[in-house]
Amino acid sequence: MSTFLQLHLLTSYPPACLNRDDLNRPKSAIMGGVPRLRISSQSLKRAWRASEQFEDALTGHLGTRTKRRGVKIFEKLAAAGIREKEAKEWAQAIAGRFGKLKAKKENEPRNDLEIEQLAHFSPEEEVAIDALADVLISEGRAPTEPELALLRKQHTAADIALFGRMLADNPAFNTEAACQVAHAITVHRAAVEDDFFTAVDDLNNHEEDAGSAHMGEQGFGAGLFYQYVCIDCDRLHENLGGDAGLASRTIQALIEAAATVAPTGKQNSFASRACAYYVLAEKGSRQPRSLSLAFMKPVREGDMLDSAVNVLTSMRNNLDKVYFQSKPLASRSINAIAGEGDFTALKTWAAQVGDDA
Amino acid sequence: MREYLVFQLYAPLSAWGDIAVGETRPADLAPSKSAVLGLIAAALGLRRPDTTIDERQRYQWETEHLALAEGYGIAAKITLPGLPLTDYHTAQVPSSGSGRNRKVFATRRDELTWMPRHELNTILSRRDYRQDAFAVIALWARQGAPYPLKTLHDRLLAPEFVLYLGRKSCPPALPLNPCVRTADGIEVALDGYGLAQAVKGVIDDRDLPAIWRHLDESKPIFCWDSDAETSLHAELTIRRRDLPTSRRRWQFAVREECRAHHATGDAI
Repeated sequence: MSTFLQLHLLTSYPPACLNRDDLNRPKSAIMGGVPRLRISSQSLKRAWRASEQFEDALTGHLGTRTKRRGVKIFEKLAAAGIREKEAKEWAQAIAGRFGKLKAKKENEPRNDLEIEQLAHFSPEEEVAIDALADVLISEGRAPTEPELALLRKQHTAADIALFGRMLADNPAFNTEAACQVAHAITVHRAAVEDDFFTAVDDLNNHEEDAGSAHMGEQGFGAGLFYQYVCIDCDRLHENLGGDAGLASRTIQALIEAAATVAPTGKQNSFASRACAYYVLAEKGSRQPRSLSLAFMKPVREGDMLDSAVNVLTSMRNNLDKVYFQSKPLASRSINAIAGEGDFTALKTWAAQVGDDA
Repeated sequence: MREYLVFQLYAPLSAWGDIAVGETRPADLAPSKSAVLGLIAAALGLRRPDTTIDERQRYQWETEHLALAEGYGIAAKITLPGLPLTDYHTAQVPSSGSGRNRKVFATRRDELTWMPRHELNTILSRRDYRQDAFAVIALWARQGAPYPLKTLHDRLLAPEFVLYLGRKSCPPALPLNPCVRTADGIEVALDGYGLAQAVKGVIDDRDLPAIWRHLDESKPIFCWDSDAETSLHAELTIRRRDLPTSRRRWQFAVREECRAHHATGDAI
């Protein structure tokens, strides 16, 4: 018996092309005999894993955002009497674990100690870096691979614990993902639409022809998506080596990302970023199930946001009534349309260890 | 007369994988035995042998899976095979260098954001799914079955790992509603389950006609292991490579599966 944390999210995207097929059109699916738009599971997971929100939520909001950590390490090593060449190499090795380093520059000797983009350093990571630098100074040697790997232990661990790892060449390190993500599907009938567009040549004076310089077509669609995520909390703890604090931060980071991060596809053309307006979190040990059946009959136009929440909650109640003697799972929800609930409280509750109501 | 463990499988997307080589990942319309046993193994909490380096442990876990594969017979009634869907799937990975070029990425984010775009390679695949498929499964215990059917029943109600219909991205969208029943033949054991039946009381009755058209369950397909008790006559016997023999080596043996259409009249 395990504890499962199930998340049900409703997110409405304006016209967008978040996840494309080989014809460059939004992905679709048929449910209840009716066409829908779809965002694949792997597209969602990639967006969450690669998001800044996920990384930030994991390290906690306290900490430092900097490109210049490498310079500080170098200064510390150099001040302690390490030769400049070595101090630089060691500092680069450490800083390089937190981001890609800038290229070498002729008249800026410390440029290649800086990280290209701002990196977030948690207080624990700062302490670990300082401690490692002290060891290097006292022993006068370069950092070893395991020492460097330890610096970003929590990032590595959380990423792999949630989403798993499969290495064909080193199966000993395989990890089973603790998190299950379903394809997101619109709650209503939705067709892929076509945007036919032209681009004019500004220097064309219409003397010879007045045609456009470019013609193109872009598939897009707008939709209200139902998204389902199930986290096996016991597996997550196990994958994280029993670190309860990290497990709690990992769950919060995932909820944060699932509710606020959209896939990056065609964002420059559509700026379709959106947050979930409804989030339901359920916790318990009984067999998890998605609530997609609520939308088998497509939600009709009109008061779609409210209707989607209503059919979702009534499906949940009815399933409980028919299959589980009307016993509901412990749950929390937020509804931004009604202005109900508190997202931070929901995350905190969801991340609590154990199956408490 | 035999005792059966019967349960239903429904999801908007499911995928019963067939022989997959490289880019194409096809799916069959009938649940594969390996996938159903995998679901049972997940409920029981059996581990995957490729997630440990302890040789003895590996051997033990491999043996547990093998016992499942040999210990139970399977029959399925597919009331809705579902519409096929092919998902075009791409994944980006940086080239893995060696020596001084070897880069270490702590996370997927690092992998995708530290590398210049042209250094990311795209891996393509096409993955088949079935949309809105509904099937009922019956398992019976053979000589030497490792667990009584009642244990499987209880574990399905409170599983150890997450359950899914072929791929991890396909969670069940209806409770499996397992039951243990004694019946004369698989066709009797599999009776009484249907998506329309399952959603009665769950979906507003006024909504039913709207989705009814979509749920033509009058001509179910039956599939069964050749040692099943049944009065059905096989219209077709196919050989499916879906009997797990080694998870570590990703090996599957050929299994003979009998199939027939069977309009029972009471199918709804």
